[in-house]
Amino acid sequence: MKKSWYEKNPAILHAMMVEIPAKYPDLRVMVERGAVFIRGNLPVMDGTEILDRFQIEIKLPSDFPESTPVLKEVGGRIPWHGDRHVNQSTGEACPIVPEEWLARPEHGSMIAFLDGPVRNFFLGQILAEAGQPWPFGERSHGIDGLFEAYREMMGISDRDAIVRYLECLSRDIPKGHWDCPCGSGKHLRNCHLEQLRALHAKIPAFVAQSAIARIDEQLQLVKRMRLPQR
Amino acid sequence: MDTNKYLEQVLSDQILGDDSKELKELQTHRADVEELLSASFASKPIIRYAGSKAKGTLIKEYYDLDIVCYFPSDCDAAGKTLAEIYENVRNALREKYYVEEKTSALRLKGMSSVDYMRDFHIDVVPGRFTDDTRSDCFIYQKSAEKCRMKTNLDVHITHMKSSGVVDAVRLFKLWKARRGIGIKQFVFELLIIDLLSGKKEKPISEQMLHVWTEIADHEEAIHVEDPANPNGNDLNAVMDAAWPGLRAAAQDALNTIKWSGWESIFGAVTVEKSFSVTERAQRAAASVSTSNRPWCPRG
Repeated sequence: MKKSWYEKNPAILHAMMVEIPAKYPDLRVMVERGAVFIRGNLPVMDGTEILDRFQIEIKLPSDFPESTPVLKEVGGRIPWHGDRHVNQSTGEACPIVPEEWLARPEHGSMIAFLDGPVRNFFLGQILAEAGQPWPFGERSHGIDGLFEAYREMMGISDRDAIVRYLECLSRDIPKGHWDCPCGSGKHLRNCHLEQLRALHAKIPAFVAQSAIARIDEQLQLVKRMRLPQR
Repeated sequence: MDTNKYLEQVLSDQILGDDSKELKELQTHRADVEELLSASFASKPIIRYAGSKAKGTLIKEYYDLDIVCYFPSDCDAAGKTLAEIYENVRNALREKYYVEEKTSALRLKGMSSVDYMRDFHIDVVPGRFTDDTRSDCFIYQKSAEKCRMKTNLDVHITHMKSSGVVDAVRLFKLWKARRGIGIKQFVFELLIIDLLSGKKEKPISEQMLHVWTEIADHEEAIHVEDPANPNGNDLNAVMDAAWPGLRAAAQDALNTIKWSGWESIFGAVTVEKSFSVTERAQRAAASVSTSNRPWCPRG
């Protein structure tokens, strides 16, 4: 069986077990049934003051940090509803499009995850509860939201071109003889090789692979929803 | 700030006032539950608040509303057996709620699209009085060793209210919730009351330190009795299972207070503020350097 990230690098887990309670005394890192969880009470800070608190659980994926941790609010305060950015079937919160997080240099730090997307998500929940708009805006649900995020990450607007670029990026190093993903029909060396190289530095292969898999998954769901019921 | 004043402020921050949004919502649900159950069963069940609401140990940060739904001893309106009562009450509640089955209670969650699976923090406990005095009651125990258990709501309420240590119980409840300590609240409360018997005149900080010290000093679990059913409700196994975690957490609390102070246990307290939480959240959001927009997958 494939080893989990913390079996390969126990030092990372041990560091996490020290760092997280040091910054968040009411959060605990634990290994349960072969997975690493962070559980407890998360204070949402405004400077040095606590604005509010939420009971949370974060499950780290077995290939951490190459996949995004899964966040849940477990106090029952936030409804499982798309408008609150909580998956209606699983209760999983969606603070950020996963590849947007994975493309950030700090994506391997759980403190950065808690201080960034998680805190921002709960700040948004506090405001949503008060009937206020989300402070940083919201992504559209499903496939549309994914393309909004990938468009911003890549600076490309055409959906087909985004997928072609992601396919190129999911391979190791761009080769000049490949067809250019822009759709011009030219070889990459004679077209957007420099742009692709620049994107490669920003979006590593594992992030592009994850994006393609997520697009596929969402497309399958859309197809399934459109199938006529027998 | 003086430690005892600080702890009083921690408790004051945890008050759920009668006019609070949370309590009003709970009261609305209680009215719904009462209406649903009264309409479903010819003979009206006795519906009362139980748990922390009845005992005065509610805290804002981690609250559940327990509602008992007890049928008279000679009433078969909801079923002949306790299992039937449990199932029929569950079915009646399902008209309006998503119902999660617990050992003796039925947990209510949202069913409509706007509050789907939202936990309302409400447990309904069906049962039947043992006799006409309407004092002792049998409740069903789903998938437990014994399928019924005798209990007495009034005995539990009196035991807590007459203990003189309700404030300490509320603070320990907050500590337990924040630390995620896995011990049944009811059993933990009995332990605190036992350990503080004879100490109710002491300042609250001394009470807290005493309980933590006693727990930390005992390698073997300290056992407690259910005052409503001392012989029939054996809590020893529950306490034994929870003891190592509880003891470690108590030791940790004592060390934390020694080296970092009480604020490291209970956090900052509210001071008079000129801004509402919403305004402060907006201000906090405005100072975020790297923002992110939430998303939601289909399916």
